[in-house]
Amino acid sequence: MQDLKPLHDAILNGDAQTARSVTEKAIADGIKAMDLVNTAMVPAMAEVGRRFECEDFFVPDLLLAARAMKSALEPLKPLLAAGDVPRAGRVVIGTVKGDLHEIGKNLVAAMLEGSGFEVFDLGVDVSPERFAKEACERKADIVAMSALLTTTMGSMRTTIESLKAAGIRDRVKVLIGGAPISQKYADDIGADGFADNAVSAVSLARQVLIRAA
Amino acid sequence: MNSRERLQAALEHRQPDRVPVDFGATFVTGIHVSALTRLRRRVLGEPDYRVRVVEPYQMLGEVDDRLREALGIDVIGALGRKSIFGTESKDWKPFTMFDGTECLMSGDFNMTPAPDGGWYMHPEGDTSAPASGHMAPGGYFFNAIVRQDPIDEAKLDPADNTEEFGLFDEADLAYYRSKVDWFAQRSGTGSVLITPGTAFGDIALVPAPWMKHPKGIRDVTEWYISTQARRDYVWAVFERQCEVALKNLGTLIEIFGDSIQVALITGTDFGTQRGPFIAPKAYRDLYLPFHKQVNDFVHRHSSWKTFIHSCGSVYRLIPDFIAAGFDILNPVQCSAADMDAVRLKREFGRDIVFWGGGVDTQKTMAFGTPDEVYREVRERIDVFNRDGGFVYNAIHNIQGNTPVENVEALFRAIRESAV
Repeated sequence: MQDLKPLHDAILNGDAQTARSVTEKAIADGIKAMDLVNTAMVPAMAEVGRRFECEDFFVPDLLLAARAMKSALEPLKPLLAAGDVPRAGRVVIGTVKGDLHEIGKNLVAAMLEGSGFEVFDLGVDVSPERFAKEACERKADIVAMSALLTTTMGSMRTTIESLKAAGIRDRVKVLIGGAPISQKYADDIGADGFADNAVSAVSLARQVLIRAA
Repeated sequence: MNSRERLQAALEHRQPDRVPVDFGATFVTGIHVSALTRLRRRVLGEPDYRVRVVEPYQMLGEVDDRLREALGIDVIGALGRKSIFGTESKDWKPFTMFDGTECLMSGDFNMTPAPDGGWYMHPEGDTSAPASGHMAPGGYFFNAIVRQDPIDEAKLDPADNTEEFGLFDEADLAYYRSKVDWFAQRSGTGSVLITPGTAFGDIALVPAPWMKHPKGIRDVTEWYISTQARRDYVWAVFERQCEVALKNLGTLIEIFGDSIQVALITGTDFGTQRGPFIAPKAYRDLYLPFHKQVNDFVHRHSSWKTFIHSCGSVYRLIPDFIAAGFDILNPVQCSAADMDAVRLKREFGRDIVFWGGGVDTQKTMAFGTPDEVYREVRERIDVFNRDGGFVYNAIHNIQGNTPVENVEALFRAIRESAV
C-alpha cells in the first residue's frame, strides 16, 4: 500500500493544501477510503490529541490541524457517504439557542470527524426543537451541545426535554461543553457527559457509546 | 483615605483602610445594563430612571455618580471616544432590551431587525452599511458578524489590518480634554484610562465592527491560525500598531498627567478554562516584546500603573506578564485551572496587583444563592486584600441574568469586610 505518512504529517503540521492533494492522489491511485481514514487520519488526530494533552499543542495548533483534516476529508466525502467505511458513531452537534459562539463547537466537531465519527453540524443558535428533529432524522447516537454564555446554557436542559418529548432520549447520548459548563451542571440537567476540551470530547464520545453497546 | 488614596495604596502594595472597589470603570469590570438597572432600583429607587449603555457591545450600563457613592465604589474610568461600533456616547435615546429592561442608547446607535427576530447593528450606526453586530433574539449583548473577504495569500498586506490605527484627530483630542475636566470634578476618586490601540491581537477587535469595509484578516479562527501560521504578518501588524500607539500614549500622558492612576493597556485573552490559549513561548515571541515597549514607555513618562486583562487560566503566563512590565492583572479567573486564589497571592502577590477574582460570575453570581455569593466574596477579600495589592471586582462583568439579590449580597459582603 502507498505510504500515507505524508497525509498523517500534513494534518499534524496543519498543512491543509498538502493534506488535500495527498488525499486526492491516494484516491486516484485506488487507495480505499477506509485505509485513508484508519491508517492516516484517525492516528493523526489521535497524535494531535496527545500533543494537546501534554501541552506541546495549543488552541491555534488544534485549529490548524482541524482545518487540514477537514480539507483532506473533502474529497473523501462521496466515498464515505457510499458507506464503505464503518463509522465510530453518528453525532448531531450545535451551539444552543441564543448563542452565536462556534470556535469550541467547531473544534469538537472536527476532532470527532477526524476520529471516525459521522458528524452533522447544525451551526449556532440551534433551537431545542431543531436538535430533536435532526437527531431523529439523522438517527444520531449522540447529541452534542455547546454554550459559552451563562444566559444561554439553560437551553441545554430544554433541549434534553425536547429529546424526551420526541421520544428519543433513551436512544441518544447527550454530551455538553463550553466555558460555564461543569460536570455538576451535566449531572443536574441529566446529560450523559461533559468534556472541557475538544480532545477529551472524543474519548468521552467513545466511552458513552461503548457503555451503551 | 479617600477613594483615590485607597486605590493608590493598593497599587503600591500598601494596606488600604478597606479594599478599594471597582465596578464600571472599564469594559471588563462593569455591570450589564439589565443587572445594573435592577440594582439601581433597589439602592436608589427612582423606578423611571433609565441607565445609559456606555459599552454597547457587551451592553454595560453606566455606574453614575450617585450609584457609585451609594455603593462605595472607588474607581471611575474613561473609555475611548467611540464604541466598538464606532458610535459616540451622547444624544441618548430609549431602547428596550429583550428582557424588558428600559435603558438608553447613544443617538447614533441605529439597529435594524434581524431576520431571526434579533437585532443587527451597523458600523457607525449607518444602516446602509452591512451589519457588523448581531444580538440574538432574547439575547443580552452583541456578537460580531465576521466580514471576511476571501484570503489570497499572495496579496495579504499587513497594512490592511492596520487601517484602524491612526494618530488622534481634533475630535479625539477634544474628547480627552473634556475627560480631564470630568476626572477633575471627581478628584478624590480612583482613575483609569483605557488606552486606545495598545491591545495587540484582541480577538474582539479583529472583526472591526466599527469599520464599514474591513480588509485583511478579520475572521476569528483565521486570525488565531495566523498567530501561528502567518507570524511574520501578525508581527508586522503589531509593529505598525505599536508605533502609532506609542505616539498617542505620549499625547495622553501630556493631556492627563498625574490625574490618571491606571492605564488599561490590553484585553487580549491568553487563557482558556484549562490552560494557556497559546504556548508560553508564543506569548514571549509574539506579544511580550510589544507589551514591554508600551509598559516601558508608560513607566518612563508617567506615574501610571499598567493593567492587563486576560481571561482564563494564565498561571503559567503571569511571570511573563510581570516581565513585560504589567503592574495589574485582571480578571483573575480563579475558577479556571491553576488559578487558586491563595496560591496566586502567595506566588505573585508582591509583584502584581490583582484587580478582580472577587467572585465567580459564571457560576456563583449567576446561579448561586446570596449566601454562597456572600461567603465567596468574604473569602476572596480575606485572601487577596492582605498587604494591599488588590482591587475588588468580580471575575469579569456581572452578567445580565444575575439575580439582584446576589449583587446585593456581593456589596453587603464588601461593606462588612471593612468592619
